[in-house]
Amino acid sequence: KPLISAHGPANDSARNNSDCPHVVLPDEVFFTISVVGVLENLLVLLAVIRNKNLQSPMYLFICSLAVSDMLGSLYKILENILIMFRNTGYLEPRGTFETTADDIIDSLFVLSLLGSISSLSVIAADRYLTIFHALQYHSIMTMRRTVIILGVVWTFCTGSGITMVIFSHHVPTVLTFASLFPLMLVFILGLYVHMFLLARSHARKISRLPRTNMKGALTLTILLGVFIFCWAPFVLHILLMTFCPNNPYCACYMSLFQVNGMLIMCNAVIDPLIYAFRSPELRQAFKNMLFCSRCQ
Amino acid sequence: VEMSVQRLISNRTSQQSASNSDYTWEYEYYEIGPVSFEGLKAHKYSIVIGFWVGLAVFVIFMFFVLTLLTKTGAPHQDNAESSEKRFRMNSFVSDFGKPLEPDKVFSRQGNDETRSLFHCYINEVEHLDRAKACHQTTAIDSEVQLREAIQRGRQPEEELNRLMKFDIPNFVNTDQSSSFGEDDLLISEPPIVLENKPVAQASHKDLD
Repeated sequence: KPLISAHGPANDSARNNSDCPHVVLPDEVFFTISVVGVLENLLVLLAVIRNKNLQSPMYLFICSLAVSDMLGSLYKILENILIMFRNTGYLEPRGTFETTADDIIDSLFVLSLLGSISSLSVIAADRYLTIFHALQYHSIMTMRRTVIILGVVWTFCTGSGITMVIFSHHVPTVLTFASLFPLMLVFILGLYVHMFLLARSHARKISRLPRTNMKGALTLTILLGVFIFCWAPFVLHILLMTFCPNNPYCACYMSLFQVNGMLIMCNAVIDPLIYAFRSPELRQAFKNMLFCSRCQ
Repeated sequence: VEMSVQRLISNRTSQQSASNSDYTWEYEYYEIGPVSFEGLKAHKYSIVIGFWVGLAVFVIFMFFVLTLLTKTGAPHQDNAESSEKRFRMNSFVSDFGKPLEPDKVFSRQGNDETRSLFHCYINEVEHLDRAKACHQTTAIDSEVQLREAIQRGRQPEEELNRLMKFDIPNFVNTDQSSSFGEDDLLISEPPIVLENKPVAQASHKDLD
C-alpha cells in the first residue's frame, strides 16, 4: 500500500495535524533495508539453485519464502524510484503511466504479502508431515508434487493479488485481507505446538534435559513472534483505515504508517536468518559459494 | 490501494486545495474529514500503546505456556517409562521364541546397525505413527551408532545431545537432509527399506 512519503513543501495549513504528526522515516533507511533484503534472499535462492543436494521439497519451500520476501523488498525499491522520478519531474503526477505503474506496484506488494503468508503455512505443513508421517513423507512429497503445490499456490496468490488491487476500496476485500493473518497464525501455531508436544514427549522418554526443551520453546517463540510483530501492525492499520478513518485515536495509530511499513521490510530481512540459514547444509553451501569459488 | 483512494479524494477536494504543488495531494488522503482532536478522554496514542503492549504480552504469554509445557511431568515418570520399554522389549524378543535379557541384547558386539534398528523397531511398536525416532536412529553413521548402543543404558544425556536437537527447524532440517542426501541409495523410499530390514536380521540373529 504505497503511501508516498512527503518530499515537497509540507503544506499543512489545511489539516489539523499538530496533535499526531506523521512519523516520517528517511528514505535512506527504507532503501537500505530493502536492498539488504533483496540481496539476502537472492543469496538464499542462488545457494539452493547451485547445489544439487539442496534440491529437496523442504528447500523449495524455503526458496518460495525467499522469493516472496524479495518481491516485498523490490516493491519498496521500485516505489522509491517512482517517487524520485515524480519529484524530479520526469513523471506526470496523475498521468496514465503513473497510475498504471502504481497499480502494478500495489499488486506486487499484495502478491508478496500473500506469497509470504502461503510460504510460511506451507513450510509449517511440510515440517508437520516430516514428523508425523515420516515413513510416507517421501512418497507423499515428491519433487513433482512440490512443484505443483508451489505453482498452484503462487497462481492463487497472483490472482488474489490482482483482484484485491482492483477491488481495493470495497470493505469485503479489506476484511478478507485482514482475516488471512489471524487464520494463518492459528494454523501455524497449531502445527508447531503439536510438533513441539511430540518433541517434548520424546525428550521425556529419553532424558530429562530442561535446557533443550527451553531451547525448543525459544525457537518456536522466535518463529511466531517475528511473524506476529512484523505483520500485525500493518494489518491493524488497514482495518482502522477502513472502519474508523475519522476517529482521532485511529488517526494517531495511522500516523505511524511508515514504521509499520518498515516492520514488513524487516520481516523480509529476518526471515532468511530464522528459516534458511538455520540449516547447516545451506550455511555450508553458502560458504562454499562465497569463499570457495576456486574450489569448483 | 491508498493511491487509488488518494486519487478519488484528490479529485473531490481538488477545488478546495488551492496549491498547485505536486506534493500536497499526497496528504489529502488524510483529509477525508478534518480529524478533530478536541475532547479526547484518553491519551491520543492509546491505541498504539495498547496494541503494542497487548502484542508483547501475547508473545511472552505464549513463551511461558511453551516452557510450562516442558516442565510438566514428574521426574520419576522417566524411570517408569524406561522400565516399561524394557518390558516390551522382553515380550517382543520372546515372540521370537528366545527370551533374552535386555542388557545382553545391548552388550552383544554384533551388528551395531541391527541393534539400533532393533531399538528403533521397539519405538515403533510403542507409538505407531511416531516413527521420528526411527529416522533419528537410522540417520546417523555407524560410529555413532556403536557409541549409542554401548552407552544406552548408562548415559541418556549424551544420547539426548546427539539425537534430539531441540531447535525445531533444525530438528527437522538436518535429519531430513543428512539422512536422505544424494549419495543415499533410494531417495524415494529409504525409510521403508530400512524399516523392513532389521526385523528380518534381528529375528535371524536371535534365532541363531
